[in-house]
Amino acid sequence: MKGAVIRLLLLMGLLAVISRAQVLRADAGTPVTLAAGALLLCGLFAGKVAKGLGLPRLTGYLLVGVAVGPYALGFIPNAGVKGLELVKGLAVSLIALVAGTELRLGLIRRVGARVAILCAGVCGLTFLACFGATFAVKPLLPFMASMTVPQALAVSALVSTVVVSFSPTVTIAIVQETSARGTFTEFLMALVIIGDLFVMVAFALAAGVTKASFGGGLDVTGLLGSVGWELFGSVAVGCVLAMVVLVYMRGVKRELPLFLVGLSFAAAEGGARLHLSPLLVSLAAGALIANLDEKAGERIHHAIQQAGLPVFALFFAAAGAGLKLDALVTVGPVAMLLVALRGVAIWFSCKRLAPADDPRLKEYLWMGLISQAGVTFGLAALVSRTFPTFGPQVEVLIVAMITAHELVGPVLTRRALAASGEVRADEAAGTA
Amino acid sequence: MQALLVLLSIAALSLLASSRALDPGRFPALARLAASGFLFLIFGVLMGPSVAGLLSTRNLDGLRPVVALCLGASGVILGLNLEPRLLRLLPRPVYSAALAHAGTAFLFVAVPLVAPILLTSGLSPQAAVGAAALLGAAASLSSGHFAVLAYRSGRMDRARGLGVALLTMLDDAVGLGVLALALVLGASTQVGEGLGLVCLALLLGVMCGALLAFLTHSLKDLAELTTVTLGGVALVGGAAAYLRVSALLAGVACGATLALVGGRTVERVARALGRVERPAFLVLVFLVGCGVHARDWGAWALVPGFVGLRFLGKVLGGKLAQRLVGSALELPPRLGYALIAQGGLALCLVAEYGMLVPGGLSQRVLDVVVVGAVLNELLAGPAFRQVLGPPRAATPARQDLEVAA
Repeated sequence: MKGAVIRLLLLMGLLAVISRAQVLRADAGTPVTLAAGALLLCGLFAGKVAKGLGLPRLTGYLLVGVAVGPYALGFIPNAGVKGLELVKGLAVSLIALVAGTELRLGLIRRVGARVAILCAGVCGLTFLACFGATFAVKPLLPFMASMTVPQALAVSALVSTVVVSFSPTVTIAIVQETSARGTFTEFLMALVIIGDLFVMVAFALAAGVTKASFGGGLDVTGLLGSVGWELFGSVAVGCVLAMVVLVYMRGVKRELPLFLVGLSFAAAEGGARLHLSPLLVSLAAGALIANLDEKAGERIHHAIQQAGLPVFALFFAAAGAGLKLDALVTVGPVAMLLVALRGVAIWFSCKRLAPADDPRLKEYLWMGLISQAGVTFGLAALVSRTFPTFGPQVEVLIVAMITAHELVGPVLTRRALAASGEVRADEAAGTA
Repeated sequence: MQALLVLLSIAALSLLASSRALDPGRFPALARLAASGFLFLIFGVLMGPSVAGLLSTRNLDGLRPVVALCLGASGVILGLNLEPRLLRLLPRPVYSAALAHAGTAFLFVAVPLVAPILLTSGLSPQAAVGAAALLGAAASLSSGHFAVLAYRSGRMDRARGLGVALLTMLDDAVGLGVLALALVLGASTQVGEGLGLVCLALLLGVMCGALLAFLTHSLKDLAELTTVTLGGVALVGGAAAYLRVSALLAGVACGATLALVGGRTVERVARALGRVERPAFLVLVFLVGCGVHARDWGAWALVPGFVGLRFLGKVLGGKLAQRLVGSALELPPRLGYALIAQGGLALCLVAEYGMLVPGGLSQRVLDVVVVGAVLNELLAGPAFRQVLGPPRAATPARQDLEVAA
């Protein structure tokens, strides 16, 4: 670990020199490639340091991203971090592809109904708690203070829907890192994935209602159509991608990691343009591949382990660098209140509603549900774009919550997996 | 979206290039262009803003980080190939021969083209000299891929093939040296400042190379090594792009430093980079093609001069090189004809020049070199046939001795 610390400090020293040297130039060039290289290297060595301290590597990636990013030491400019959006989409797709290969038909039959019921309970209770709190603190939130009661109710519902969301990305990355295998891990992964499907549907409905409350009119057909397209269209496109992957794996048999990176990138970019969910597209593709050809699923798993480390390190370090620390100051108290309420609601609902046949679920499951990352970021950005009058302020509130959740979530998820006794290795080679 | 379009285009072109549709027997020129990657260049031109417009100028600006990354990677790969032990072993006549043929082509192109550039651009003599120097630098470069293919297929003596390849590799140093000179003259209004920027690029490369050597020193895991290598390449290319200095020169300095101090990890780093070399090259070539202004008639007017003068320079330079090299290196007769193919580094030079020297002149240089490179690649096939003779019988031991000499 000492070596990793020295290397990390040297890297940060070089970054400091580069950021100072930039002052010599009147106008800077593009900072995106610098951000990519710096975050990748810093992320990797910070991950090693974190592992040495008994923390998830992912926490190291996030923290170093925060440290060198524009809101702390400022070695990497904001434009550089923003330019890495492409990598974010790619990482989410790759992670979802791996997650999909875990979704075997047998597993869905075994735990599908129980997970769906528990998920509905957890999401419902968390939503109610956050909805009530958001509406109650209306006078404290500048963007809600002047709204009418129906408008405030609709916006509270919208905010709470986003606040409920989980992070399949973090969960799957930690599962990969620890090589965790077993019923608890399966249950947790299925729960975060299904939870996000619930959130996607609920978000579309809440957005439609909010639009109507601000005078846009409630277009039920359009609303159902867009939700249906996002869900079923994503699954259909995912099935097509699965066929492409299988044909490639049978015909070409070379450079699979590179091919999967390219395909995931296409899924992320193309999916976003077609108003599909890139997460669901890749998830469906992975699931279909694993269920049609088990060996192909295992090969994909192995290939992404090879190609995944740089993508994951960069993704989480960039996520850390994008966390707006100043947002914590402006909307901090309300954000912290919602963080605490969300945590308590998840803990309470898991304690009450988790299946009794496995006591670990009642005891530790809640810890795996605290993280928030890519999906929540995406929904917050969508609120900002869809509702320009108050959306940007909602985004600040949610990003402040994500900041808190990103810092504690991965540690809790790892602790949950460790406590469940399903962690197989200290570290899986080449993963997050 | 533009990145997705580039990715899909390159994937489709890769499929086309590796399919039977481009049978070398039926379409030799197209197959040659596909093998050298120049087919991607042509498709880039066709998709770019000045022809089909599928990618706009704004899209290309958004893809600048990718160009910087590819230039940095190319530089590091070039730098890693500088093996100090091998360079020390080479006798002086080999250097003289390399300098002779590269220098002749440089002078044949750069000197006559100064006047038309100066007259048509209306810019300062300093800028015109810089642009002409860069055209000369691009002309001085040669690719040894025909020679390598010929000796591998048994159509040329191995020693002769390696001799040609060695000379073309030494050209790269001339090309990079002239790029540095052109940037000194063109990247800033003052020569002193331009020199400072080139030195900054080299210093940055040396620092990144030393750091990369230290970072990779104790890494055992292949995935980690690949990650650090990719991160190091992005760091050097990105830092150079951020400070608006040459990513290519910084990359070369980084690779050379790594080769010098990296010890045993150098080979592993080179192998890790080798996996992304071809994709990075194809992306770069495609994007360079997209940047061509196909409707600049002034550039089209310069192309015949560029190609013709370079051809002449290479043929005469080849003769001079043969005379200078003496018995130190086995070379084929009519060496100049083996040096007509221009290679990808010429495109890297003009891409770098275009990024760092603003204005229409650097754009015109890019247009001339890109079109010239395609024409030279087409010319190189028939020209190389002039070099091939009946293979000589030589024992492998003797061949190796000759190469080592």
